[in-house]
Amino acid sequence: MAADIGATETTHGARKVGRYVLLVFVAIVVLFPIYATLMQALKSGPDSIDHPKSLLPINLTLDTMRAAWRIGDLGRLLVNSLFVSIVVTIGVIVTSVLAAYAFAFLDFPGKGLLFAFFLATLLVPAELTVVVNQRTISSLGWINSYQGLIVPLLATTFGTFLVRQVFLTVPKDLREAAALDGVGHFRFLGEVAVPLCRPTLGALALFTFLGTWNQYLWPSAIITDDEHRTIQIGLERLKTGDVDKLNLVTAGTVIAALPIFIVLIAFQRQLVRGLTAGAVKG
Amino acid sequence: MKRVAPLTLAALVLMGCGSGESIITAGREPPVVTQPPAPTLAPGETLPVGETLPPAPTTIAPTTTAALLDTLPDCPTDALASVTTPVELTMWLGLTGPLADQMRQLADAYNASQSKVHVTMIEASYQQTIDKYLQSNQENRPDLVQMPEYMVQTMVDSRTAVPAEACIKSSGYDTSAFLPTLLDAFATQGVNWSMPFNISNPVLFYNKKMFTAAGLDPEKPPVSLDDMRADSQALVSSGAATYGVALDSNFDSGGGWYIEQWFAKAGEFYADNQNGRAARATKVLYNNDTGVSLLTFLQSMLNDGLAVNVGDNTSGFDNLLKLGDKDAPAAMTIATSAAIGPVLAVLKSGQFPQFTGDDLGIAPMPGPGGKPGALVGGASLWIVDSGDDARTAAAWDFTTYLTSAQVQSQWASETGYLPVRTDAQTLDPLQTTWATDPRFKVPYDQLQAAPDVPTSVGPVVGPLLEVRTVTAQGVAAIFGGADVASTLADSASKADALIADYNSRNG
Amino acid sequence: MKRRWRQFPVAIGMLAPSAIILGVFVVYPLIHSIQLGHLRCDATGTRCRDGGWIQYVDVFRSNEFQHALFNTIGLALMTVPIGLVLGIGLAVLADRHLRGIGFFRTVFSSTVATSVAVASLIFFVLLQPEVGLLPHLFHGLFPVLKDPGLLRDPNTAMPAVALSSIWASLGFTFIVITAALQGIPRELYESAFVDGAGGWTRFTNVTLPMLGPTILFTSVVLTTRAFQAYAEIALLTGGGPDPERPTQTVAYLIYGQNSLVKNDIGLKSTSAVLLFLVLLVLAFVQFRGLDKRVHYGS
Repeated sequence: MAADIGATETTHGARKVGRYVLLVFVAIVVLFPIYATLMQALKSGPDSIDHPKSLLPINLTLDTMRAAWRIGDLGRLLVNSLFVSIVVTIGVIVTSVLAAYAFAFLDFPGKGLLFAFFLATLLVPAELTVVVNQRTISSLGWINSYQGLIVPLLATTFGTFLVRQVFLTVPKDLREAAALDGVGHFRFLGEVAVPLCRPTLGALALFTFLGTWNQYLWPSAIITDDEHRTIQIGLERLKTGDVDKLNLVTAGTVIAALPIFIVLIAFQRQLVRGLTAGAVKG
Repeated sequence: MKRVAPLTLAALVLMGCGSGESIITAGREPPVVTQPPAPTLAPGETLPVGETLPPAPTTIAPTTTAALLDTLPDCPTDALASVTTPVELTMWLGLTGPLADQMRQLADAYNASQSKVHVTMIEASYQQTIDKYLQSNQENRPDLVQMPEYMVQTMVDSRTAVPAEACIKSSGYDTSAFLPTLLDAFATQGVNWSMPFNISNPVLFYNKKMFTAAGLDPEKPPVSLDDMRADSQALVSSGAATYGVALDSNFDSGGGWYIEQWFAKAGEFYADNQNGRAARATKVLYNNDTGVSLLTFLQSMLNDGLAVNVGDNTSGFDNLLKLGDKDAPAAMTIATSAAIGPVLAVLKSGQFPQFTGDDLGIAPMPGPGGKPGALVGGASLWIVDSGDDARTAAAWDFTTYLTSAQVQSQWASETGYLPVRTDAQTLDPLQTTWATDPRFKVPYDQLQAAPDVPTSVGPVVGPLLEVRTVTAQGVAAIFGGADVASTLADSASKADALIADYNSRNG
Repeated sequence: MKRRWRQFPVAIGMLAPSAIILGVFVVYPLIHSIQLGHLRCDATGTRCRDGGWIQYVDVFRSNEFQHALFNTIGLALMTVPIGLVLGIGLAVLADRHLRGIGFFRTVFSSTVATSVAVASLIFFVLLQPEVGLLPHLFHGLFPVLKDPGLLRDPNTAMPAVALSSIWASLGFTFIVITAALQGIPRELYESAFVDGAGGWTRFTNVTLPMLGPTILFTSVVLTTRAFQAYAEIALLTGGGPDPERPTQTVAYLIYGQNSLVKNDIGLKSTSAVLLFLVLLVLAFVQFRGLDKRVHYGS
């Protein structure tokens, strides 16, 4: 681990304890809001609003989450969201890596213009695009369809830029040496560039998956049937007026966030593994 | 292209900072149309409810002297008879959650009861439904849509609806059982546009226990604003409550809608041209003595500690919560009748040991001079012009089902909304519900008590929601201590600008 | 010259997928909106009149837009620097081969799992100190209520929103910086150590410069998020306590529940395009400003 260079000093005694203390403290601060939400979801309706006892891990039950699952038909919603998120994630990785390679390693006329074009799209507010895209999708007949949900999300400037930033740190001599060896662009891409930025690609995959999973604006604009509904817009159904079921939405939100947490934990392992695999040899 | 950014920066800087103008005046002035002005009513002049002024004279010679109704889409209610396959209807709701579920149950019952029409309901919030509706074109629009009361003028100007009156006339539908106020509420310029469906109005929520403790009669809640002040004085002086009344400045209640309510109770118009019903409204009228004295009255109650301001109240419940506050409770507040059921449910759950369900009193909303009546809140059903006679007729058929006495009795009983017709209260389940707990009947009686005069029907203004918003901001400033007259004048001029802008675009 | 054109076909092939999708679903709406931005339309958007290109100037200079811009800049000034510092700090803190460090990394990344709406909801609940508060009764969007206090005081409302926003974006910044930290070649640290540089000096002379492009990137993303802040405003304050409305951001001005421009697609487009232009300028400023410190390759 690169920053380990100071490890010979810091892994001893007080410094190490100090670091752990700091880590624990920050972890508590960051986790507290999530913990509070989890408690709300794991309690019965009346218990969840009985502050401040609502924060104590007592009287926990899965009933609220079971109810949320049933009422909101969350099973189907999860499958829909999963399918859409996975397809979009794969699509974004592919389009981003290709575009980033072109920007980082190739030189061609109009490059600056195209780069600015990409940059500009990063800044366009989502609500602005939704209204017009709704009409476009409608005229394609893709309302209430998977392709309507997926296609507009298949490319993001965010992804292109993220990967480009990493590609730019590849030393020029590496590329030149490969060119001298007769290595073509796609081979260089596959054998050198991509393995180099694996942690970043992992991050991009995670973000894209998350972003798609949490999408609300776009699905609510084009999905009105039950078959294609995704989980975020489906949670609306859990908003009841009943006193006894106030934390139903919270429970539904926790269920909706569970797959994300699983992905997150898996990603962490990848990141650690990426440490040894991604280092550039001098 | 990289030069675009610094150029933009330079341009933005050159544009300079504030112009002092409102955003709605942006763009070139609308072209001035050289036409004689549309007739407006002179101050003080009134027409009976439902009558209109003659249409504006134009330079184009009219080809006929047809009434406004004839220029609107017609409603061939007999088209349903010749239908062989079931007509598929889509209805967009503004209700969500359990209310939407109940609507779906009604739709299922209707679908099961006959084979000519099949209704599918799509739920969304009012805001989502409104936005989606306005953005759609004729292919995407639903056949029926539930629109809140402030959308009347906008729906009229959208030129997408079939007026209910056309259907009533064409089918000979008997509307005598409907509360006249309700039908008038959704009519403008002589045409009845939509059928009322889920209706509520604001009522007084008060704590009977506190009244008793203050030496007041718990069965005699205040009727006029002065009574409300006197009772607050008694409550605060005796220590029964910290505050007499909880006020708020939300656009949908204390800061906007209630101002309209109080003007109606005072027998005054809120907007010109008879609240926009005789002809298109061009400005608000609340910047007058009535408005100033009303807000000065409320401000002085706050200054004297007899009332408390709970602020924006965006959740809609902060003022009700103040009644249950353990440390500094208020004894009274004004809230929508739709909250009666939920509040009772919460009180019964024992969340507030000091305030039980039986302690809650419901009374008509106090107003200037104690005059009765209230404006209609809630939503109505609009039939959308699909161009297809069969669907229009089917939509009307479903509308008559939803507004039938039995369905209204069931709906009102389950939801706490008011029945839209007088014959619903003699049917079960509503009859039993009201007999068991007469508090639910209070808002209905309040509506019925409204005198049959033009001021009893609230304003119809295009940008009503926006007008309420700027008014609410003014009220918030006033509750914070600002000078009443100048703030009210400022809000009124903002509202006038909004209306003028709306008329220039939608007229 | 020839060399530039030689790579052209490959470049086009690689860029085509992204360019087409972005072109149809982002650039086309933008152009269409620019076109709409000089019109004033009725509620359905079918009858429009020409407001002239001066409309863009008028909207930019209007009271409501300037007020919202001021508020939004304030939000960005709170969320971006703090978000960056915290993100980098946490990433460096967790950048050690300690036992159980994976757990801490997961914790620090976890906020990225919450959507903006959920994060705002969580903070909504947290920002109410009172015990025994009444639960949501009827229409309330979420089963919690707005508390008198941080969110209702005009002075603390925006900082409270900023707090929620910083927390929600913390995971994102942490992940991006951590990934970038992995890419810093070990030899750089080794040679710095050999040169006698201490921990802090190694951080400023090696870590920060190598993180340069990523910091720039994160800064642009966080700024964009701050300027497009809508969901958190809608859920926490609804535009801010009246009458000052200190949390009315530009995005909320345009798309909020009681927006004055909502029912005029022309005016709405003008405002949205202006928002985009402001973001464009900000991105440019950040690229220029931080570009000098950015270290590419070696």
